[in-house]
Amino acid sequence: MTALEKPDLYELDGTGPGLKLIFGRCAACEELHFPRTGYGCPRCGARPENVTAEARAGQATLLTFITLHAKLAPGITPPCVVGEAEIAPGMIEEVMLSGGAEQYRDGMAIVARAEEVERDGETRLACRFAPKEEV
Amino acid sequence: MANLSDMRPVYVIGVGMHPYQFASDTLYIDMGLTAVRGALEDAGIAFPEVESAYIGCTGIGMAAGRIMFNHLGSTGLACTQVENASASGSSAFQMAVLEVAAGRRDVSLAVGVDKTGDQLRAVQKEKVSRLSDTATIPLVKYALMAEHLKKEKGLSAEDLAMVAAKNHTNASKNPNAQFRKPRTVEQVLASTLVAGTTTSLMCCPRGEGAAAAIVASEDAIRRLGILGGKPIRVTASVLQSETPQVGREIPSVTLAQRVAEMAYDEAGIKATDLDCVELHDAFAIEEILYTETFGLAPKGAGQHFLRDGGSAIGGRCCVNSSGGLIGQGHPLGPTGLGQVHELTRQLRGENGERQQPGARIGMAHMIGLGSISIAHILTKD
Ligand SMILES: [Zn+2]
Repeated sequence: MTALEKPDLYELDGTGPGLKLIFGRCAACEELHFPRTGYGCPRCGARPENVTAEARAGQATLLTFITLHAKLAPGITPPCVVGEAEIAPGMIEEVMLSGGAEQYRDGMAIVARAEEVERDGETRLACRFAPKEEV
Repeated sequence: MANLSDMRPVYVIGVGMHPYQFASDTLYIDMGLTAVRGALEDAGIAFPEVESAYIGCTGIGMAAGRIMFNHLGSTGLACTQVENASASGSSAFQMAVLEVAAGRRDVSLAVGVDKTGDQLRAVQKEKVSRLSDTATIPLVKYALMAEHLKKEKGLSAEDLAMVAAKNHTNASKNPNAQFRKPRTVEQVLASTLVAGTTTSLMCCPRGEGAAAAIVASEDAIRRLGILGGKPIRVTASVLQSETPQVGREIPSVTLAQRVAEMAYDEAGIKATDLDCVELHDAFAIEEILYTETFGLAPKGAGQHFLRDGGSAIGGRCCVNSSGGLIGQGHPLGPTGLGQVHELTRQLRGENGERQQPGARIGMAHMIGLGSISIAHILTKD
């Protein structure tokens, strides 16, 4: 079984490559946040024991996307596509998109899925979003 | 929070710089001393008159100040190192201003000096993963915003290139600038594509250099016989950090607006009173966004303000006459003090071919990674 690249952020949803995103739910303010951290609730400052993990379907709405042409971070291989997506109501996160920019348009539904990447000579499953209809 | 206008008046009495440049063998002490000696000479005072010093830097290491000031004579002055990412120099300036305003010191020095360091960021030690491997890279955030605004309000790659061409061309007339070539819109567009429609010439360079400013009280100005008309008053000094994103606007842009409004309030001015602004154009899109959030142009009309020449030298309010971060450079520690250097010379009417006619009020604005936003307003009395 290939290990997930960032198991603190997502888990396999049991349907092949599909991923669930792991949010934090705060018992003190009842708000959702992402990513969940070991430090507590970033919304109200409650201690970590007030926060529980809440895995939600890896579905999002793509808001904007661009192609990166330069190697801006060690983990990326340009050209590659990144976007901003609404991963839960009002929660906008930068996401990495699978394949080339031609498949995407603003406002489309996208889903998180596991895609193999090489990290320090080992294969890992990374989270890449792809158009919903393709899956 | 105490208002600067309720405290003792503080004036910039001297500024100095070591030109910004690409990474070299030049020692940071040589660059820092050049800027400090320039500021002392400009103020017409000797180093022993300086009671405290704040040194802004990010890449040199611990305790950079004392070993540099040692070479100006061991006067025993108070000496504090300030790190606030890109805003380190601005924050050093704020510390010096507040110390004089509070009446604790009469003459204080802020100096920013930097070499390209190891770029280690605390966020790398946070141990919090992000979905995207580029989630903490500002360039990507701003390139995404540029793409969004392209569809939202017709902001074009040509508009971004126009910002960069203006700032590169301003820098070509600035002997302290890292880039000294005038650039056309076509040249900017033809440079290497980095992210979305952002090209390499739309981004600030990495580099090194130094800038310094000396601030003083009215008592000190009288005592030291500083020339009448030369001191430039600091009328606002504001710093805040960002709050969670609401809607599509980047939190640092929302923050920049709040900080500018607080600064206008503190200085008792309106946006339309500004004659010159030095702002954080690490990427060309930022200048268009901030001219709007600062109220120089209506929201959504930043590119029209630019196209109409509003931000050109001689326009309604010149923006980044130094060349900005894109043209003058962005060595981190010095950057905010390089802005104070430019504005002081503008307000004194000493800025040569980059002089904004009749300049009386200027604002320096920086963003520091994280992000924080800081603004200072300088006023010719
Ligand atoms: Zn909470």
